[in-house]
Amino acid sequence: MRNYIIKRLFYSVIIAWGILTVTFVLLRIGPTSPVDRYILNIAAKGQNVESVKQAIEARYGLDKPLIEQYFTYLGNLLQGNWGWSFSTSMPVLELIGSHWIYSFQLILLATIFAIVLGISIGMLSAVKQNTKFDYAASIFSFIGISIPGFWLGLMLILVFAVQLGIFKTYYDTNYPIWSLENLKQLILPVMALGIGELAGYVRYTRSAMLDNLRKEFVTTARAKGLSERTVIGKHVFRNAILPLVTIIMFDLGSIVFGGAYLTEIVFGIPGLGQVSFNAIFANDYAVVVAITLIGTFLVLLLNLGTDVVYTYLDPRIRYD
Amino acid sequence: MNSEALLEVKNLKTWFFTRRGIVKAVNGVDFALRRGECLCLVGESGCGKSVTALSLLRLFDSPPGKIVEGEIIYQGIDLARCPIGHLRQIRGKDIAMVFQNAQSALNPIFTIGDQIIEQINTHLDLNREQALEKARMLLDKMRIPEVDRALTQYPHQMSGGMKQRAMIAMSLSCDPCILIADEPTTAVDVTIRAQIMNILQELKRNRDMSIIFITHDLSLVREIGDRAAVIYGGRIVEIAPVERILNKPAHPYTRGLISCLPDVSSESKRLPSIEGNTPNPMDMPSGCPFHPRCNRVMDVCRSVLPELMNILDVHAVACHLHPNLGK
Repeated sequence: MRNYIIKRLFYSVIIAWGILTVTFVLLRIGPTSPVDRYILNIAAKGQNVESVKQAIEARYGLDKPLIEQYFTYLGNLLQGNWGWSFSTSMPVLELIGSHWIYSFQLILLATIFAIVLGISIGMLSAVKQNTKFDYAASIFSFIGISIPGFWLGLMLILVFAVQLGIFKTYYDTNYPIWSLENLKQLILPVMALGIGELAGYVRYTRSAMLDNLRKEFVTTARAKGLSERTVIGKHVFRNAILPLVTIIMFDLGSIVFGGAYLTEIVFGIPGLGQVSFNAIFANDYAVVVAITLIGTFLVLLLNLGTDVVYTYLDPRIRYD
Repeated sequence: MNSEALLEVKNLKTWFFTRRGIVKAVNGVDFALRRGECLCLVGESGCGKSVTALSLLRLFDSPPGKIVEGEIIYQGIDLARCPIGHLRQIRGKDIAMVFQNAQSALNPIFTIGDQIIEQINTHLDLNREQALEKARMLLDKMRIPEVDRALTQYPHQMSGGMKQRAMIAMSLSCDPCILIADEPTTAVDVTIRAQIMNILQELKRNRDMSIIFITHDLSLVREIGDRAAVIYGGRIVEIAPVERILNKPAHPYTRGLISCLPDVSSESKRLPSIEGNTPNPMDMPSGCPFHPRCNRVMDVCRSVLPELMNILDVHAVACHLHPNLGK
């Protein structure tokens, strides 16, 4: 088991390195330069554009061959230097440090929201199969799966913020993270990000529960004289959760890389999605590569975590 | 004869209300189980023997299944109708069940020890240490080697025979007075079958336990049964002591079944068989359900359902061929 984890971590580093290389190269072979933003300002002041551009590029080593720049970047990264953000004029690490919490709180709350509600509704749906509750849950989940999160976000803002005035239309960074007001203004973003996942979990939980409800060990459990609560909550659920763990961890990847970006932009939350969105348009490659790298590591670690958690949930799975 | 009846089943009907129609899986079953006897329920697949067994503890899927008629009297209480809470106290405590396939009947993600102790804790007031000791003792009685290791093993880590024995140990954990064994040897190979049969015989002899043994295998009936009930089309067509039913079968279907037993001394190369298929429980033939396959069919068989009648004190049969039954 320990060897397995070490091996997986080693592979993770190689995968992350590959993704880093691809991202770096794709961003740097484009026709634009990270210093273009500077140049625009300088041109407006009537200075000689070309000479200033060359001076800045030389200062940051952007005039060197791409391969040399790549190894310089890699070397710096290994020493803990994540580079310089041209568009915000601060070190990348500092930029990420001041913004990650906004993404983290959103992803964490949306995931908890989706897991808790999704699994509860899915379980009830399976136990009450073919009742009105089950039909209502099914209709809700099909709608939830079909609606794109960013559109849902806009609609939520339109209805609850603009028309009903219950929430602000924009995320307010003046509230401290650990305040009730902050929690309140996260309600709409969390719903926009979480409902799609929630709807999926309802369907997956329902079908996993139904699959296992039909198993023979359920009859055995009832024949032992166990209460229905124990039969469903222990014998059925502990088996049904196995495929769910995979799906939830898999979904977390798509939340981190997809859903959260869009939700942050729609609601104006200054998280890493927003930062990385701005950085792409500013050609601020160091920021984009850094955020991509963090996301990659997060997904790889989550996958490894899933596989390790699996061995505790399912005794039939062993990595030797 | 019924004075010592431990469990009495009267006109039991378990039907399944499916979208395509009503499946009358059990359609009027009567029998009484006496203390310390082994009653075998014999029949082809789909005849209703397993549903009969599941009905005794209301373990069939409901919906679509429902006991539409009849009584299951145990200690003066009708298990077919009593509140589910009361039934739960009887399940696994007074009446326990062993299933056909231990591989799928045991929960794959809990250890054998946990699964046995769970049942003990449900019914008996023992502390963790006592329950563990009891589980250890039960497995030991089932001749499972390395009991302490077995307790911590998961079902997939055990062989088929071990799993089946572990399941029997679990079913015996609360000292039931009735054991329902639903084809416990069908999914295991012959050597393990012999072990299981030995265990069951010992239980009958030493513990004075009543066993309802469900099988399609007449050779097992001869081995363990005191009485046998032959089930066809959801009804008992013949019930008698095993010796009698094997030597003097009265119902044409029972005769057919017995003639299908392979006989090593016989010269013929082909095994005899009963022509035709088991009746569709959704669309039972009129009259006697066996009449389309019966080689001695009469006009009356096509229209009138024969009642189960005694032809001897201990031997009852449901067939129009026996005119001396009390009409």
